[in-house]
Amino acid sequence: MTAIGLALRLARWGILGFSVLAFVSTLIQALGFYQVAGHNAADRLAFARSIDILASQFTVLLAPPVRPDTVGGYVQYRAYGGLAILFAVWAMASAAGAFRGDEERGLVEAALATGTGRARLVASRVVAFALGSFLAAMAAGAALMVGVWSGGETIAFRGVLEEAAVLAALAVCCYALTLLVVQFTSARAAAAVAGIVLLALFLDNSLSRTFSWLSTARWASPFRYYELSQPLVPGGTFDGRATLILVGGALVASVVGAVAFGLRDVGSPLVRPLLRDRPPSYESSRVTWWRIPVLRGLYEHRLGIAAWTAGVAALAAVMVSMTKSIVQPLLDIPALARFFGSFVHGAVFASFLGFFWFTTAQLLLTAFAIVQVARWSADDSEGRLGEALSQPVSRAGVVIERTAALTVGVAIIAVVSAAAVGYASRAQGIDLDTTRLVEASMLLVPFTLVFAGVGALLAAWNPRAAVGLLGGIAFGSYLATQVGPFFRWPDWALDLSPFKLFGNPMSDGVDGRNLALMLLLALVCFGASILAIQRRDVGA
Amino acid sequence: MLREMAAAAIRTSRLSKDYGLGRGLFDLDLTVRAQEVFGYLGPNGAGKSTTIRVLMGMARPTSGSAFIFGLDCMRDSVAVKRKVGYLPGDVPQFGSLRGSEVVAYFGGMRGGADPVMVRRIAERFDLDLSRRFREYSTGNKQKLGILLAFMHRPDLLILDEPTGRLDPLNQQEFYSLLNEARAEGATVFLSSHILSEVEHVCDRVGIIRSGRLVRVAQLDELRHIRVHRVEVEFAPDATIPEARIRAAAGVEDLTLSDRRLTCTVRGSMEPLLAAIRDVDVTDLVSTEPSLEEVFLSYYGEAKPKALPS
Repeated sequence: MTAIGLALRLARWGILGFSVLAFVSTLIQALGFYQVAGHNAADRLAFARSIDILASQFTVLLAPPVRPDTVGGYVQYRAYGGLAILFAVWAMASAAGAFRGDEERGLVEAALATGTGRARLVASRVVAFALGSFLAAMAAGAALMVGVWSGGETIAFRGVLEEAAVLAALAVCCYALTLLVVQFTSARAAAAVAGIVLLALFLDNSLSRTFSWLSTARWASPFRYYELSQPLVPGGTFDGRATLILVGGALVASVVGAVAFGLRDVGSPLVRPLLRDRPPSYESSRVTWWRIPVLRGLYEHRLGIAAWTAGVAALAAVMVSMTKSIVQPLLDIPALARFFGSFVHGAVFASFLGFFWFTTAQLLLTAFAIVQVARWSADDSEGRLGEALSQPVSRAGVVIERTAALTVGVAIIAVVSAAAVGYASRAQGIDLDTTRLVEASMLLVPFTLVFAGVGALLAAWNPRAAVGLLGGIAFGSYLATQVGPFFRWPDWALDLSPFKLFGNPMSDGVDGRNLALMLLLALVCFGASILAIQRRDVGA
Repeated sequence: MLREMAAAAIRTSRLSKDYGLGRGLFDLDLTVRAQEVFGYLGPNGAGKSTTIRVLMGMARPTSGSAFIFGLDCMRDSVAVKRKVGYLPGDVPQFGSLRGSEVVAYFGGMRGGADPVMVRRIAERFDLDLSRRFREYSTGNKQKLGILLAFMHRPDLLILDEPTGRLDPLNQQEFYSLLNEARAEGATVFLSSHILSEVEHVCDRVGIIRSGRLVRVAQLDELRHIRVHRVEVEFAPDATIPEARIRAAAGVEDLTLSDRRLTCTVRGSMEPLLAAIRDVDVTDLVSTEPSLEEVFLSYYGEAKPKALPS
């Protein structure tokens, strides 16, 4: 019990944060349903049709909705679809942090030194995460019940409980898979490798909805078993067998992970290549990049930038290649073809691709900005900022150099992804406006700088809280574009969201006012971060 | 005053950093002369690292001022750091960067490190710079920190507990490196809680406790205020003047067992010798105190004792 209590204590901020996030996002969707779905059967059926059409664009991410004319079906799709992804990311970050990050910080050694066995340590962390994820899932359930109550309707508590159980089961399964994977990686690569594995399992399931040849492999994806339950939908189902498979998978992965943990040295992967014998070197690196401001930052993180660039470009190419196979079946339906014709002027494929790809690119580059801010915070807590400031550079100089390196890094990602979209669309026979593609891609740079600027300000103010707060702000600003118009939020409030300011440049072109606002926001935030970092004690 | 300022490598005036709850640094008035090696002694949590972090501009003082070579540590922090080599108490984590890359990176920030110096230090510590930082042992990480502090031949070295993670052989190597830097004209400000280290290399010592500087002295001066441990053996037929000995100035912790008397003597031995002058003494042993014992006798008390100036 002590070990579980300690594990819960270590994870308390994550549990609290994700509980709040789950509660708020679910409440907004539940309240939003009553704002937009109409109050009679005909209105709700019309609303459901529009949701079905919207959902068809996102089948690569989310399973199609079931009964979106009901609050249960709508929230199941709009809130829990996203929560499944969010909880998987949480599980991955928590497990990688608990089993490799804590090793780096010496916490695992300290725990083992108290006489706690390795298997017991693994079990306590898994159980603590299971409790935490169930609590966060129940927070989402509570929000749903509050939302439904505000609409004067009721929803079965059993369904809410079942949904919480299956969401927590998915999270624990992802946690256990991560804990297994990270036994075989270096501490540095743990989160990245686990992320790739979970992404592959996610895509295995979601792409199987588009590519039938993948359907034979989707049994391996935990997300498949999550989707088999739809307990919130009226007359919906709770697939007990699928949920048991998730729990069983978590158990097996935890046991195998614990065995692997028992076999390896603390701080090392299970399989570690021996150091090669070579003559020692006593020379400083002769690479010129290290001596040039900005370039040295890019060179230091060259592998990360290359991985991001390759990953974003590859995803862009995959999305382009899927465009026709997603859109064509919809165009074959006469009613939907008329519907598309009403808001898509000109090339349907190009408009769809513009919306579909750049929405994804915004989310990816938001994640990129959060990763950079996490690094800036770590620079502070791990002493690298102090070392940099013990050289003859000013604090403002450090912020400016970081910003410049980030700008160049984002520009590289944007340019290469634009090239990938352009090349793949030509190969697919989709006629894209090259000028607009370049403009829209370059608009990703100021978009990312807004989030990075907010993150720089947060990191200058309180580095330990920066990543969590920035994640919350990013989530909130995305949510604002989704639900703000329904709740008739004022324009100035929506204009604070970079997602709103980005707009849809492939269809509408780049809006000069919005671009200026993004640049202004970024400038103000970075400027404020320079002022804030002057006043703060380094490492405090 | 102006002359003193010009000669001072470090000068602080009523420098305070208040963290609340009585923690931090309070009213520090300190002058470190150019080209001297100054030891800054204190137990854990005394305020040594806080002083150093304020001098390096990492932490903002609550009040007071600090100057390095006449430059304000906060306002002129960039100019200050051109003259300073700094070893923090905790070596930063450089992850998967190689030692050679770390040196090039921070050397680049300085506009270049002296390659001869880099090679000389790396060789004498046998620090393989082709290895990744993550692969380094704790001692090797510390050696890299030392290399970063010394590589540009700074005028002032500010070193926060530099030898704590080094083995005795490498400690000796470090002391000789320090002596060479000093011979080349560098000033050294070195914090430590290891008194033998200070005895090895320092000209003067400042003792800090609970955030307050309680004493600055030459090493010799510090020995003059030392505590003597004295054992006296009296002849079998001698009458031991116990009351007179107890009343002698500076005599403490007196115990008498059979014919053998032990006590500690603070300051001069004269009062004790006067007290036993007329008695037949067969043996008298006075143990030279180490700096460590002086230090412990200071910090063994609830409050710092006032010392003769």
